Amino acid sequence: MRFLRWAFVFAAAAILSPGAIGAQARKGVARKAANAVAQDTSAAPKQPLSVRVVAYEITARLDPAKHTITASEVLTYHNLTGQPQQTFPFHMYLNAFQPQSTFFNEAARDFPDHAWEPENYGSIRVTRLEVVGAGDLTNQLQFIHPDDDNANDRTVAQVRLPKAIPPGADVQFKIEFEDQMPLVVARTGYIRDFFMVAQWFPKVGVWWKGAWNCHQFHFDTEFFADFGTYDVKLSVPQNEIVGAAGDLVASASNPDGTKTLEYHSEDVHDFSWAASPSFTAVEDSWTGSAGTVQIHMLMSPGNMRSAPRYLQALKGTMTVFDQWIGPYPYDRITVIDPPHGGWDAGGMEYPTLFTADNGWYFPKWILLAEDTVEHEYGHQYFQGMLATNEFEEPWLDEGLNTYLEAKVMNALYGKGTSFVYTIAATGGNDDSRRAFYLSRPDTDPIARLGWLFYDDQAYGAILYGKTTMVLLTLEKIIGEETVRRALHTFFLRYRFTHPTGDDFVKTVEEVSGRDLKWYFDQALYGTAILDYEILDADSEPLDSAKPEAGGAKSKKELYRTYVTVHRKGDFVLPEDIAIKFDDGQIVLEHWDGRDRWVRYQYDRPAALVSAEVDPGNEVWLDRNLFNNSYRVQADTSAQKKLGNFWLFLSEWFAQILAWIT
Amino acid sequence: MTGPQPKTFLAGAKLLWRRQRVLWLVYAVNFLLALMAARGFSGLAGKTLNHSLAADQLVHGFNLERLLELASMPDSPVRGSLTSTFYFSVTFAVFMLFATGGILTSFYEDRRLEGGPFFEACANTFWRFLRLVLYLVVALIPAGILTAIGGSLHRRIDAQSISPYPAVIFVAGAAAVILLVLMCTRLWFDMTGVIAVAEYERKMHRALRRSARLMWKNFGSLFWLYLRITLAGWVIFGMGIYLWIFHVQPEAILQAFLLGQALVFVGLATRLWLRASEALWYRQHLAAFFASAPAVASAVLPSRAIGATPLTSETN
Repeated sequence: MRFLRWAFVFAAAAILSPGAIGAQARKGVARKAANAVAQDTSAAPKQPLSVRVVAYEITARLDPAKHTITASEVLTYHNLTGQPQQTFPFHMYLNAFQPQSTFFNEAARDFPDHAWEPENYGSIRVTRLEVVGAGDLTNQLQFIHPDDDNANDRTVAQVRLPKAIPPGADVQFKIEFEDQMPLVVARTGYIRDFFMVAQWFPKVGVWWKGAWNCHQFHFDTEFFADFGTYDVKLSVPQNEIVGAAGDLVASASNPDGTKTLEYHSEDVHDFSWAASPSFTAVEDSWTGSAGTVQIHMLMSPGNMRSAPRYLQALKGTMTVFDQWIGPYPYDRITVIDPPHGGWDAGGMEYPTLFTADNGWYFPKWILLAEDTVEHEYGHQYFQGMLATNEFEEPWLDEGLNTYLEAKVMNALYGKGTSFVYTIAATGGNDDSRRAFYLSRPDTDPIARLGWLFYDDQAYGAILYGKTTMVLLTLEKIIGEETVRRALHTFFLRYRFTHPTGDDFVKTVEEVSGRDLKWYFDQALYGTAILDYEILDADSEPLDSAKPEAGGAKSKKELYRTYVTVHRKGDFVLPEDIAIKFDDGQIVLEHWDGRDRWVRYQYDRPAALVSAEVDPGNEVWLDRNLFNNSYRVQADTSAQKKLGNFWLFLSEWFAQILAWIT
Repeated sequence: MTGPQPKTFLAGAKLLWRRQRVLWLVYAVNFLLALMAARGFSGLAGKTLNHSLAADQLVHGFNLERLLELASMPDSPVRGSLTSTFYFSVTFAVFMLFATGGILTSFYEDRRLEGGPFFEACANTFWRFLRLVLYLVVALIPAGILTAIGGSLHRRIDAQSISPYPAVIFVAGAAAVILLVLMCTRLWFDMTGVIAVAEYERKMHRALRRSARLMWKNFGSLFWLYLRITLAGWVIFGMGIYLWIFHVQPEAILQAFLLGQALVFVGLATRLWLRASEALWYRQHLAAFFASAPAVASAVLPSRAIGATPLTSETN
C-alpha cells in the first residue's frame, strides 16, 4: 500500500513537472559545468547576492542554568538611504514577553483564558550603547511605540546621534546587552535543556519609502530587516549541540568548560540559533541548480522516527522549488525539531534555519510533519530572499507561501490526499486551506497591516486561507502555468530586495499580459464574498408538443428549459455554466457575472438533467460549493449516508449517557 | 463466600438469549429515539445535498474537507441537530433508568415478563434506581479527583522529562487505573441494583453497603466476569469497525447501515449480558450460600431472595 502511494506521488510529481527527467539530466550536465567553474574561481571573492546594508558581529555567551545570554554586538550600518541619518531605531523584541506589552495585550484579547506564567516573561536589556565617534549614548536610548502608543511596550528603542551620518557613510554601534529567555513562547525561549534563540539581539530598522520602518512586536508579525552579513561567536557549555543560521567557520574549547563556535552568514536579514545537549544530529545533502546544500537536522529525544519524514519532505520541496521558483543559493539549511512541550517554537522560519513540528502522537496519515517542513522551507524564498514587509503586507510571505504549499504538497503527495490519507477518509492540502478560509472569510481584506486584523483567527484564515484561494482562483483566469511563471519571475526579479504587493500585482499582470486590477481590487483590497448559485432550474414540456387527447405522442417532445444563475455575494467574477440535458448534450455558457442574476432559456427536445456554475471546480474563492449546482432528479445518497452516520453516532451517544444508569 | 465461584460467563449469555425480548425492546427504543434525532439532521442535510452535484464527493469516498464545509455552513445540519440529538439521548438514558428494574427482574427470575408485569417492575424500582444514580454521581467523585491528580502529575512529568515517553507511559498507566476505578464503581452499582431487585431493598445506602461487602469478598470472580464480557464486547465492536472501514464500499449505504446497527446492537447486548450475568451470579451465589448454611439464611434473608417466587407487586 505504501509503495503504491509513493508510486502515485512520484507519478503525480512527474506529471506536474513536464519534462522533469529530461530537465534533471540537462541540469546534471549544467551543474558539472558550474562546479568546474566554481572550482576554478574558488579563490575569487564571492559576489554579494544582496545590497548589504548591515554587518553584525555578535559575541554571545549562553548560561543554560539562568536561561540568560550575555552578549556584545558591533553593528556597522551603511547609510545607503541617500540622505543624512541622525536617528536610528532598533528592534528589542524579547521585551515583547513582558506584562502589558503590545504582544501580551493582543494575546490576551484573542486568548483571554490563556494563563501566562512568570516563566513566560523574557526581556532584553541594553547595558551599554556606544556609537563610534560619538561615545556612550546609553542614556539616549528611548523606547518608542509607533504602532499603538502603548507606553508599556518596550519592543522598539531609538537613539539620536549627536551628529547626522552623511549619505554613503558608515556608522558603527557597539552594544552590550543581556537577554532573559522566556519559557518557550511565540517561537522563542527555552524548555528544559532546549533553547530556541530568535529575535534576540538589537536589530536596526529598515529605511523604507523615505522613513524608518521599525514596528513593535505583535502577536502575529515580527519580520522586516535589511540584508547583510552576520559573524556570530557563541559560547556554550561543551555538551551543547548547536544548530545555527550560518556556516560554522571555527570552533574552540575554552578553559572554563565551554566552547566557542563561530558562524558566518551573508545575504540574510536575521540570525537565529538553537541549542540542546539532547539533540541527535542527522546530516544529509541535496543538490539543486545552484549546487549542493548541506542539510543539518537536529532531532529532539523521542522523535527520531520523524526524521525520515522531514528529510523526504524537505528534499522533495527543495526539488520542486528549484524547478518552479528558482535556485536556493545558500550552501546549508538547518532544521530544528523542538522537543515535546516546546511546540511554541515549532513551525517557524528564519533565513537558512527553520523549526519543524511533529508530535510523536501524530500518525503518518496526517501529513503534519511534511506540511510544516514544506511551509517553512518555502519561507526561505518568501520572506527569506523576497524580504517583504511582514508587518505591513503579511500576505506576501504567508499567503503566497501557503499557495505554494498547497501546490507543492499536491505535487509530492497527490491531490486530494496531501493532508489526510486513509482508506476511510481523505483530504487535500488545498482543501484544508479552504476550510481555514471559510472559518473567517470576510472580516478583513488580505492587504491589511498585520496587527490590525480582527483577531488571530482572522489573520490566519485570511492571510493563509483566503490568499491561497485567491491564487487558486487566479489560475482559472490566467492559467496555472502562468501563475507559476509569475511567481518565478517575481522571485528572480525581486530576490534580496523588499518588494511590495504592487510589485507582485504588476508582475502577474506583466507575465499574463492581462489587466487584472478588477480582480485584485476585489480579492486583495476588498472583503466582498464570492458566491454564485443556481437559483432555479427546470424543464417543462411545451404545450404545442404535448400529445392531444387520444392522439399519438409527438416523436420528440419539446421542453422549455430555464436556468437562473444568481450572484449571492458582491464579488464579481465571470463564470462558466454547464447545462446538461437528458439526451447527453451539454451546453456551456459564459456569463460575465456582473448582474445579480442571469437566466438561460432553451427549447429543446430534451429535458434538463443538471446545471452547474463553475463545472471545472476552479473558483476556490466561492464560499458555498454546494449551491453551485442543481440536479433535477434528487439524489439522496449523500443524505442517507450522512444520516446513517448521525443515527449511529446518536445511538452510541445515548448508550454512553445511559452508562450511568 | 467460601463455596465454589459461580460459573456465569456463558450462562449469562444464555440467559440473555432466553430473555432477548428485553434486548430487542431496548434496541428498538434506542433506534427510534436516535432515528428521530437523525431525521432532523437528515432533513437539513437533504436540503443542501440532494440537488447538489458537490454531494457526490461525500458519497464516492469521503472528502473530509467537504464534510467540514457542510458543517461550517450557516444552516449547517450539524449545528441544527446537536441539541435535539442531546435531548433524545437523555431521553434514552431516562428510559434505561426506568427499564432497569424490569430488565433485572426478568434476568433474576429468569422468566418472561409480559408488558404489564414488566412495566410494573420498572415502576416499582424506578425511584430506587434514580436514587442509585445520585449515589453514583457522588461515587464518581474519587475518579474525578484521580483524573485531576493524574493530569497534574502528567503535566509535571511532561515538563521535566527530556523524552516524551515517560509522560506517555504515565498517562497510559493512569488511564488504566482510572478505567479500573470506573469499572469497579460500575460493577459495585450494578450489584447494588441486583440486590435492590432481588431483595426488595428500598434503602439504597444499605444495598450499597451490602454490595460493597459482596464485592470485597468476591472481587476476583465478579471483576473477571465484568472484564471478560466487556473485552468480548469491545473485540466484536473493533472487528465491526474494521469491517466498516476496510470492507464496506463508500457507496454501500445499506451495508453500512446494517453493519452500524449490528454494532449498536452488540453494544447494547454487551451491557445486558453484563446485567444478566450479574443477576445470575447473585442468584447462584445465594443458592450456594443457602446450601452451605440454610438455617442462617432463612433467618437472615427473605425467601424470595433465592428467586423461587415470581415478583408480584410492591409499592414504594
